[in-house]
Amino acid sequence: MRSVVILTVILGLLAVFGPALAPHDPNAIDIPNRLAPPGDPYPLGTDAMGRCVLSRLLHGASWSLGLAFLVSVIGLIAGSVIGLVAAMGGRLVDWVVMRATDSFLAFPDLVAAVVIAGVLGAGTGSLVFALTVTGWMRYARVARGIGLSLGSRGHVTQARLAGLSPAAIAQWHYLPALAPSLIVVWTGMFARAILGISALGFLGFGVQPPTPEWGTMLLDARVHMRSTPLLMIWPGLAIVVTVLAINLTGDALRDSLAPQERPA
Amino acid sequence: MSVVRGGRRVLDSVDLALAPGRTLAVIGESGAGKSTLIGAILGLLRPQSGRVAWNGEDLRATNPSLVMQEPRAAFNPALSLRRSVMEPVKARRLRLPEGRLDRLCTGLELDPDLLDRRPHEVSIGQAQRLGILRALITKAPLVLFDEPLSALDAVTQKHTANLIAALQSEEGFAALVVTHDLGYAAAHADEVVILRDGRIEEAASAETFFRAPQTDYGCALCEAALALGALERAA
Amino acid sequence: MTALAEVVLRAVVVLAGTALATFALLWHAPGDPAAAIAVARFDSVVSEEVVAQIRAEAGLDAGFWPAFGHWITPILAGDLGNSSVSGRPIWPELRDAIALTVPLALAGLAIGVAVSVPLAIFATRRPGGWLDRGAVAVASLGAAMPAYWLGLLLILLFAVHLGWLPAMGARTPAHMILPALTLGLGVAASLTRILRSGLREARGQPFLPALARRGVPPGRIGRDHVAPHAAIPVVTVLGLELAFLLEGAVIVEVIFARPGLGSFLVQAITARDFPKIQAVVILTALLFVTVNLLIDLTYRLIDPRTRDRDA
Repeated sequence: MRSVVILTVILGLLAVFGPALAPHDPNAIDIPNRLAPPGDPYPLGTDAMGRCVLSRLLHGASWSLGLAFLVSVIGLIAGSVIGLVAAMGGRLVDWVVMRATDSFLAFPDLVAAVVIAGVLGAGTGSLVFALTVTGWMRYARVARGIGLSLGSRGHVTQARLAGLSPAAIAQWHYLPALAPSLIVVWTGMFARAILGISALGFLGFGVQPPTPEWGTMLLDARVHMRSTPLLMIWPGLAIVVTVLAINLTGDALRDSLAPQERPA
Repeated sequence: MSVVRGGRRVLDSVDLALAPGRTLAVIGESGAGKSTLIGAILGLLRPQSGRVAWNGEDLRATNPSLVMQEPRAAFNPALSLRRSVMEPVKARRLRLPEGRLDRLCTGLELDPDLLDRRPHEVSIGQAQRLGILRALITKAPLVLFDEPLSALDAVTQKHTANLIAALQSEEGFAALVVTHDLGYAAAHADEVVILRDGRIEEAASAETFFRAPQTDYGCALCEAALALGALERAA
Repeated sequence: MTALAEVVLRAVVVLAGTALATFALLWHAPGDPAAAIAVARFDSVVSEEVVAQIRAEAGLDAGFWPAFGHWITPILAGDLGNSSVSGRPIWPELRDAIALTVPLALAGLAIGVAVSVPLAIFATRRPGGWLDRGAVAVASLGAAMPAYWLGLLLILLFAVHLGWLPAMGARTPAHMILPALTLGLGVAASLTRILRSGLREARGQPFLPALARRGVPPGRIGRDHVAPHAAIPVVTVLGLELAFLLEGAVIVEVIFARPGLGSFLVQAITARDFPKIQAVVILTALLFVTVNLLIDLTYRLIDPRTRDRDA
């Protein structure tokens, strides 16, 4: 398990410092050396336009992980607030909010993201919007579920009697109890966001070329599958290793946070 | 006052009165509507009819306080006890008179250093006295006690009951104690109300009730308590 | 009976919410929808008059709520309208696409079940054994493996390298093997994970050792006591698998150039053919709400504890 955490930390560092480690400009075109095999100036070879694959992968790491982080954190904040409003707002508010959540859940989230990103027009902004709009419901469900059980706790009643505002009660009496579960959900959603970003990139609705992003790199590589199969191996491998590491870290987190999750 | 919960009339035409400095014991079995009564008095539930007043104004304006049955659960495990105890003061931006916290700590035989611990780092008895400390800190005119002693062992029960009584004569708050402990009621209450299935079965001064209960149910309760020796212990 | 009414009411509210969200999205899409329709329909620069006429036709100039009413009325009547690009009715084309996607999804589901059910059963016979660990590895890897990469790898191996199977199109039944395999392996991964934890929990029920001591044969314990308990998470997960199948189909059909529902949707988005997009969205929402409704009702049948959960 420790090796997984170390791998995740390394991937995190790569996302931050990867671009600085890249041997070449990720967008520098070198047509004479196009589709070169791994070798001297280009450790992992070049793509159809002679761009350094390793440099594009490293820059892609900060795009994929950075955008996924942004998407999952916005979802975390929005979803937690929505879930807490449902849990603390009384039965009617709860019903309305949860039916709204169901409406969003009634749809496979990747399909919804494809529709939203596609209709709004390709670009990083609509990508982030599409994945956030389709990615907050799990947080809301978890926050609401735990929040409802907290409502009958003694210290929450005492806080209400003390005259604390609902926002302060949410901050001091709900959030500390919610945090472990929300963090576990967050790791899962972070991994899903990476998959979502690359899926939209692969379909052409995500980050636009020539920006190096793993999904769009796969899309480019697909055409040259017969001549240069290695080209589509690298970005795929990057996605699988990253998502696997994050998921396993999430499992480890869940196992270590589980005792606190169980109600006393 | 009546309260309907989940389609069932949990409290039916309950009428209570209490004067400053006095203690009213509400006695009843589980399911008699005691928790609902507390919720309604504190304004946590909305009664279908009736109101709760103190000196003619809405009771909620006087910020009544509550001492709970489960001492540790009444405190947020994520916060220091000092933060929790001071929550009613902070939330209403009150100014605490010089030395009040220390005086109350002395009265409750609490080491002030305990305030810097977390709820799971103090004993149940200490946690309950800290709960009383929080209930008294803002000088609430009415303090509700929900089975305040049932989580404590016998020795601590008696000790805590005496501390409450001493503080009450000092501070002059009215105490409404919900309990099924007749021994406690006999020793400390001025008035007694018997609650059964959401209705008042019997209401009398403690002296009258324990000398001669007027209803069969009241008699049965007293006999059961006598059989357990609870009333002798109190006497 | 009131619980049933509540469940149905929920489904209706969810459908209405989805319709509203869809329309809001189209309403806020960049550019003038009327102009987009005009250009798409007439394939050339069109006059301002034509655009205005289209805008009035679609009720687009009346504000959000009237336009929503104008938009939803034919849909409620079951009319999905015409493509804004070709002008032809959407339904026949959509029906053909669905006819290609449903067998693919069923084949994927079948492969997923065929792999995961035996794997999970044998894995939980000996928790911690090599088969159990293998099952966990398959589930973890599958959860991290994007369908588009798995599909490309399968094409690389079976179509490019070995030349055994066709990769592109949907002309013969053999064309379905690789797409179904791509979908099925993804389904297998998630089903294995859920079945494994469900079976472990079911096998860990406190009264099972007592039954074994009393001499109840293991087969009967499994059939009468373990299987019903493990069935509950399986029912839940079928809803999730349906979502997974549909998502997977979108990607897989694009990779394998299969003109099913997924390709239909992606092409509609690329062409900005809004009536087609909304037809897919509404059918999908209808499908999911119906399935969730059935799941909710099935729950009430197999697990008496949940019957009055929401009361």
